[in-house]
Amino acid sequence: MRIGVFICHCGSNIAATVDVPEVAAAARRMPEVVYASDNMYSCSEPGQQAIVEAIQAHNLGGVVVASCSPRMHEPTFRKAVERAGLNRYLFEMANIREHVAWVGKHKRANTAKATELVLMAVEKLRLNRTLAPRKIPATRKVLVVGGGVAGIQAALDCAEGGLSVVLVEREPSIGGKMSKLDKTFPTIDCSSCVLGPKMVEVAQHEHIDLHAYSEIVSVTGYVGNFAVTIRKKAAYVDWEKCTGCGLCMERCPSLKAHDRFNEGIGATTAINIPFPQAIPKKATISAAHCIRLKTGKCGACAKACPSGAIDYEDQDREFTVTVGAVVAATGYDLTDWKVYGEYGAGRYPDVITALQYERLLTASGPTQGRIKRPSDGKEPKTVVFIQCVGSRDPSVGRPYCSGFCCMYTAKQAIQTKEHLPDSQSYVFYLDIRAPGKGYDEFTRRAQEEYGAAYVRGRVSMLYPIKTPDGEKLLVRGADTLAGSQVEVEADLVVLAVGAGAAEHAPRLAEKLRIPYDAHGFFLEGHPTLKPIETNTAGVYLAGACQGLKDIPASVAQGSGAAAKVLGLLSRGELESDPQTAGVNLTRCTGCGKCIDICPYGAVQELEVRGKPKAGVIEAVCQGCGLCTATCPQGAIQLSHCTDNQILAEVEALCRC
Amino acid sequence: MALREQLKKMILEVLPGVDCVIGWGAGYDALHAAPLFMRAPEDVERFLSGPLGAFGAVQNPALFLPELAGKKIGLVVKGCDSRSVVQLAAENLIKREEVVIIGFPCEGVIDLHKLRNKLAAHFVVNEPGGVTAVNLAGDHLALTAGGQEYTFKRDEIMADKCPRCREPNAVISDCFAGIERRADNIADDYEDIAALERMSLEDRFRFWEQEMSRCVRCYACRNACPLCVCRDHCAGASRDPHWLTQADSTRDKFMFQLIHTLHLAGRCTGCGECQRACPLGIPVLLLKRSLGRAVEEMFDYRAGLDTEAKPPLLTFRVEERKIKEREW
Ligand SMILES: Cc1cc2nc3c(=O)[nH]c(=O)nc-3n(C[C@H](O)[C@H](O)[C@H](O)COP(=O)(O)OP(=O)(O)OC[C@H]3O[C@@H](n4cnc5c(N)ncnc54)[C@H](O)[C@@H]3O)c2cc1C
Ligand code: SF4
Ligand code: SF4
Ligand code: SF4
Ligand code: SF4
Repeated sequence: MRIGVFICHCGSNIAATVDVPEVAAAARRMPEVVYASDNMYSCSEPGQQAIVEAIQAHNLGGVVVASCSPRMHEPTFRKAVERAGLNRYLFEMANIREHVAWVGKHKRANTAKATELVLMAVEKLRLNRTLAPRKIPATRKVLVVGGGVAGIQAALDCAEGGLSVVLVEREPSIGGKMSKLDKTFPTIDCSSCVLGPKMVEVAQHEHIDLHAYSEIVSVTGYVGNFAVTIRKKAAYVDWEKCTGCGLCMERCPSLKAHDRFNEGIGATTAINIPFPQAIPKKATISAAHCIRLKTGKCGACAKACPSGAIDYEDQDREFTVTVGAVVAATGYDLTDWKVYGEYGAGRYPDVITALQYERLLTASGPTQGRIKRPSDGKEPKTVVFIQCVGSRDPSVGRPYCSGFCCMYTAKQAIQTKEHLPDSQSYVFYLDIRAPGKGYDEFTRRAQEEYGAAYVRGRVSMLYPIKTPDGEKLLVRGADTLAGSQVEVEADLVVLAVGAGAAEHAPRLAEKLRIPYDAHGFFLEGHPTLKPIETNTAGVYLAGACQGLKDIPASVAQGSGAAAKVLGLLSRGELESDPQTAGVNLTRCTGCGKCIDICPYGAVQELEVRGKPKAGVIEAVCQGCGLCTATCPQGAIQLSHCTDNQILAEVEALCRC
Repeated sequence: MALREQLKKMILEVLPGVDCVIGWGAGYDALHAAPLFMRAPEDVERFLSGPLGAFGAVQNPALFLPELAGKKIGLVVKGCDSRSVVQLAAENLIKREEVVIIGFPCEGVIDLHKLRNKLAAHFVVNEPGGVTAVNLAGDHLALTAGGQEYTFKRDEIMADKCPRCREPNAVISDCFAGIERRADNIADDYEDIAALERMSLEDRFRFWEQEMSRCVRCYACRNACPLCVCRDHCAGASRDPHWLTQADSTRDKFMFQLIHTLHLAGRCTGCGECQRACPLGIPVLLLKRSLGRAVEEMFDYRAGLDTEAKPPLLTFRVEERKIKEREW
């Protein structure tokens, strides 16, 4: 093989701590290397052109590029090599940026290590074979997990683009957090008036198959053909029959069920339709509160239901669908604010979360839109908002900014004034972060037009006090601008509780095989250039599950994910990666160890001349290499990472 | 000898339905037994006919099964041998229905390496034919070499695996001769491994370097292992992939032993055939037992007890019960 080696400076990224020309000089002495050069930016147009020209001028049969991570530019260089007429798999990459330049400062040692990595790549390349991708049919159907506003937008756009959509929502209704909001910033639109029509469209769209109160059990397969097992949780109500009339709720004698939709403001019945605009508008029985399910006695709802939909024997049901792509849109959940002793750790009923406050503001909410404090139902005169509760606080493991709290706090201060004209709001904040279009103006309006008093500083403690006007909460904090202590006697305290990833998001990530960060947010393919893709082909992200964002940004990302899916599945077929495992039949004893170990179910038992043998389904194989490490005979090998290639790399290292 | 007679009766009953029954017969001298392939009733007379009786039934007859796939085989097994049969079946390397298993309660077997060391202490070199008479009586073994008689306690020349054996009775059998031995009070404390681990890392490495430097690459350990089934495609001999060089270096020999160990991780039943077969007496079983212990601790799995169990290292699970990668 006539090998060409290209060492990249990456501007100063690599060149600052690696002697790039020296690595190129060392490469010229490596086996079968006939050409080596160093380039400022190998990935740039002239950089790629240099590779193409060198291949043609020196009749190269294989190429090594030493630069950044293959995650970044392997596809770029493979295409360049192919443009010059070489098979794109006669190419190897050595990562001397992330693995060398960015992790070591010592130039001599870095140069030596970079040289070793290049030698390993050369030795591996010498054993590379040409490989050819194959066309595989792709299922023109997409799974959207999470029916918040981001998931709804993704589902609608995909369906409009002609794809079938399976939308899975864990709650009994879609809508997500937006369906719990009263108004939305910065326009103070009525939340359900703008979201409602979209939800109805989901229910009515012929291409959307909605599964509420369901969850993902497992995901197997690969881009183009994922097999997804979905569990529909037992609702104890036959949703085919339920018309959503709500008569059952009127009769249910179990009145103390936790009201999930209303964030625990008030209680609800064991059988419940979460809110009037719910989609689907179907009743669900909470088994933990249903008297009939707990004791066998009652059955009031079954008697009340005019359509005979109640089914106390209902059970979870599992079914499997095949989809070509997945959009994860699982949003966020509020973090546990009860870790804060200084805010009462949940002991004081009149300290509530901002999401609970949204429910108090909503006309269709548990108080019909009248602001009543939970302890005694009185209208508050003084409302204190505390921002950054569980945000920007490394001491509770939440170092990040939740992004939307500054804005919704301003919104809630405005609405408080609108609901209660003679009230006074105080907002304790650290910084006001309002960088969106019209956002800064919005927070100013809250102060200037609506008279909210903004105090810059943290609240150090609050506790209940008795005053001539009744029971109040004494809020004590610092005003860091005035350099003084502040005390406010509040009737109601609203905490802008920070958000974290949705409950159990990491579990879903494990099933989807997508990475997630320390806080459970799903990792995008690249923070600047691939904010929608993940590192798993065919899985995309939309909304707050990728990083906290407000509704406009969630909707935009939902549409973005839909565009990605439509692009991916537009041709109805995909190219399979030929870097898969293959079986040497003469070696294989047919023991089946590879069949059991393969996480993707890519190996099957074949019969060859009466003997059992293993066979790899190339389209399913992900090239993980577990089987090759398991087969004692070395009978199953990865086409692009054979034992011999690994040995050649190790040998190269040992020689250095 | 009651046990021998009972077993012979069973073998004769099984024989018409199988191609052959494998057991043990007399070897080339009084001290050695050898595998016996019985095809006709008259062959059965030679079963356990040596002076050591079942105490000489050292070889693991399960070794022959994978090669004989497709034939119907009767197999006389000790407890340890039966675990090899179970493991082979669990791994699909043999078909359970092709084997008729005749089990018996094993009282332990002789360790010829130990005996050789004992004789060496008396300046007797145990060469083939060197021992002219053997007599096993109760707890003692008397043997004659160079015209002189030596007596050893049975316990002292028993294989190490036997006193710690938790399954002296065949764990699987189609017929069973004799009365099952109680073994629920026996535990394996892995003291041999613990002793090794008390050595510093450097000392341990030196120990293995020294031991492996004696290896002559005869591959008897591999050939004797009933679960080493690659045969013509052994990593030790394969040139593609070219794992090992032909160089006579300790590094390559150790590498081979480690490959063997890793290929047996979670599969090795601890039958000890590898160590028994080694002509140099290299304690290779230590390596295998060390991984066996790790697998037992981590996966609550011991190889060769259940034909339906999936060996933990040969399956893929997203979550392992005892390996907590995440908080849930
Ligand atoms: C108090 C408050 C007020 C706010 N006010 C505004 C505002 O006025 N304007 C604005 O722009 N933004 C506002 N926001 C932010 C807004 O809520 C988010 O931007 C938006 O909800 C993000 O949408 P989403 O679809 O990504 O996530 P979500 O709304 O969280 O939806 C996610 C959906 O996925 C479902 N789900 C989660 N996990 C799974 C799973 N494993 N399987 C199936 N389904 C699952 C959830 O049940 C949920 O329905 C506010 C936030 C708060 C806390
Ligand atoms: S593990 Fe190896 S020998 Fe066993 S079936 Fe798979 S390829 Fe064949
Ligand atoms: S490399 Fe082997 S274990 Fe991995 S996906 Fe392919 S067949 Fe399965
Ligand atoms: S490695 Fe040794 S002890 Fe383990 S099964 Fe093979 S021969 Fe028996
Ligand atoms: S039996 Fe002993 S000498 Fe022979 S290869 Fe195995 S360890 Fe080496």
